[in-house]
Amino acid sequence: MRLDIAYRLHFTYAEPVSESQNEIRVRPRDDLRQRVLSYRLTTTPATRVLQMRDYFGTTVDHLGIRGSHDDLLVLAEASVETTPTDETPAPVSCERLDDQQFVNSHIEYLAPSQHVQWGELVNEVASWAVRSAADDVCERVLAVAQAVPTVLTYERGSTAIGVTLEELIDGGRGVCQDFAHLAVGMLRCTGIPARYVSGYLFALDETRPDHDADGDPDSAGISVQTHAWIEAAVPGYGWHALDPTNGGLVGERHVVIGYGRDYNDVPPVRGVFNGAADAKVDAEVIIAQPTAPVSMVTEPIRRQARVAVSPPADGAAQQQAAQQQQQQ
Amino acid sequence: MAELRKPDAEFPAYDEAFDRDGSVRPLYAAIVERFSNFDTAELRRREGIIEEEFRRQGITFTVYGDSQGTERTWPMDLFPRLIAAAEWREIERGLSQRVTALNRFLADIYTGEGAAMADGVVPAWLVQSSDGFERNAFGVSVPHDAHCVIAGIDLVRDAEGQYRVLEDNLRNPSGISYVIENRAAMTKAFPRVWEDHTVEPVSQYGRMLRTALESVAPTGSGDKPLIVILTPGIYNSAYFEHAFLAREMGVELVEGPDLVVDEHVVYLRTIEGLVPVDVIYRRIDDTFLDPVSFRPDSTLGVPGLLGAMRAGTVTVCNSIGNGVADDKAIHPYVTDLIRYYLGEQAILPNVETYVMWEPDQREAAFDRLDELVIKPVGESGGYGIVIGRDASDEELADARAEIERDPRNWVVQEVVELSTLASLCDDVLEPRHLDLRPFVITGERTQVFPGGLTRVAMRKGSLIVNSSQGGGSKDTWVLADGAHSNGASAQDAAR
Repeated sequence: MRLDIAYRLHFTYAEPVSESQNEIRVRPRDDLRQRVLSYRLTTTPATRVLQMRDYFGTTVDHLGIRGSHDDLLVLAEASVETTPTDETPAPVSCERLDDQQFVNSHIEYLAPSQHVQWGELVNEVASWAVRSAADDVCERVLAVAQAVPTVLTYERGSTAIGVTLEELIDGGRGVCQDFAHLAVGMLRCTGIPARYVSGYLFALDETRPDHDADGDPDSAGISVQTHAWIEAAVPGYGWHALDPTNGGLVGERHVVIGYGRDYNDVPPVRGVFNGAADAKVDAEVIIAQPTAPVSMVTEPIRRQARVAVSPPADGAAQQQAAQQQQQQ
Repeated sequence: MAELRKPDAEFPAYDEAFDRDGSVRPLYAAIVERFSNFDTAELRRREGIIEEEFRRQGITFTVYGDSQGTERTWPMDLFPRLIAAAEWREIERGLSQRVTALNRFLADIYTGEGAAMADGVVPAWLVQSSDGFERNAFGVSVPHDAHCVIAGIDLVRDAEGQYRVLEDNLRNPSGISYVIENRAAMTKAFPRVWEDHTVEPVSQYGRMLRTALESVAPTGSGDKPLIVILTPGIYNSAYFEHAFLAREMGVELVEGPDLVVDEHVVYLRTIEGLVPVDVIYRRIDDTFLDPVSFRPDSTLGVPGLLGAMRAGTVTVCNSIGNGVADDKAIHPYVTDLIRYYLGEQAILPNVETYVMWEPDQREAAFDRLDELVIKPVGESGGYGIVIGRDASDEELADARAEIERDPRNWVVQEVVELSTLASLCDDVLEPRHLDLRPFVITGERTQVFPGGLTRVAMRKGSLIVNSSQGGGSKDTWVLADGAHSNGASAQDAAR
């Protein structure tokens, strides 16, 4: 399926700021499942963009505006060809998860990471989720993916970045990143390597992402947004993708940007600027097939933008002294 | 006359100045004689000169979290440590070899193919699970593969007098300024000791480091690359050293806000406008370097710096991610890495180290934990170390449980009875344990700075030499070969 995506990121500031520096990770990935036909990133005001592949193979666009500005527009346009998902892998005994070579080669995706730390509560929820699963890694992975929506209710704007998995379970609400983080944590604590996937999902209903993503792309009412899901490592098979927000499989309408240990390895935007102004950051994604009418949805990317105002207004001197002392 | 106590005959450590039957080693004959002629009051008076010299110059170090005030005057013992020319040449060769291999390893990991991991020399999982493994370092290449421009390698001497590598410090090793200041203080307090010895000078450090930093400037920087030292600021314990090095090299000492990135080029803000920076010798930790890519709350770094490094317009020294190669869990593999990259036998052996994730080594270590040293891989400064023979059964059981819980994060080493040397304690010169941290500088080529920082445990019997835990230091003399280099120490004295 050919998909044309436009990701539009708009920073607006109440008063002029300067020295904005950003890392953008929005380019779809090239792999066996999807092929990038074209990608272009432009900014207003114009600046030189440095494009690199990071450790995880995700494309990063480094860009900055040094001079004073009260507005920065970043537009990334991509065309991608996706293919339907493979079928579910054949059953694999969970014993194979303990194989030392398997463990060693997935060490990064078994250990806790910044946003995926677990304790007793996550252990309990994970054991509960797989309680009736057979001795089959794939069945367990599916059981976890399906259990997450019973623990969390999707609610836009319900959480902020930095909540722990325990807090998520207690709160019972979250957005797609939270669903993915919780699933990753539940899988890791049961010994199944899991990674966080950042990407785009287009779907029929723009107000609720927790529906079946099986709509006809040519029909009106198709929407797209940035999305997060997971992949679990299945011994003898490889990475198996599942979408815990939708409790189900990942299909050709999931477009992968990249993956990492958690959100922190693949945030769409990360940046800082200099100035005291309040920042408003809006991102919108448009998926359009060239022949089809374009529809779009706008979602403030509250959780995806990490905008630090520098220097910090409160306790700045204290914080600086403390950081100076921390250096080895 | 001041009493100069010889080591006990049955004491297992190697003494630098006296051999097993209590005779003075020829290397130390002149210095022992000179010190034997001072009475205690005279030694105390000269010790006062040294202390006053450090205080006057504000040469201190900081003990964080110490209730008695965090600044202390740098402690230097007045009895110097001597290294014979031939012995030093061997150390020099060993250190160059080691640091060359470690730089190759870093380049292999971050900009190469990961060959050492693919070929099974070092397990890939061990690298990937290292706290020092910095994923942001991918794509950052350094001219001459000089990922580590300044290395500090901690050496100890075992009971046979063999030098062994205890630890590698490849991130931001500090202490070089103390080496130079120790020499200056020694010269003040004992102006006539140079009559008997010709000692390699240490005053050329600034020039040597500057040449190395110039040689790693990005291509296209021109003949006169702009070098800056990036310091966290005045509250950092090593700020004195940062200022010292800036002065010695004749370069700007800057803080993060003095630099700005524009279109992937780093500039220094000056009154004449922005001037492009070619090389940054940074003394802040990796995770504070750039709030865009690392810790967003860092107030010390330069936003956009990683982008500039990836663009290759600036070289940051030491480079990022070096912590993976000085991880204590990687240390046992360095001998193999030397063989792998250079096809050579390691000249300097490691202190025998056992890795706890190999079942055989773990079980063997558990059988005799009370004779070994247990180290957490993620700590430095001597923190968290359990010395088996001094530990209670309960402490050993706790350590064992910790190791079983997380074998990746512990190594166990043979005890090395660090060598001893006379040091002034309570009015007598008595043997105290010491180590040696030489500094290895890599630019176009790898060089070892003569001598290094000798650290000494001032408490009797103690093996903990870290200044943060009450250790002192000694001026360290590498004796020059023959008479031809006479006057070398006069060069230091003339400064």
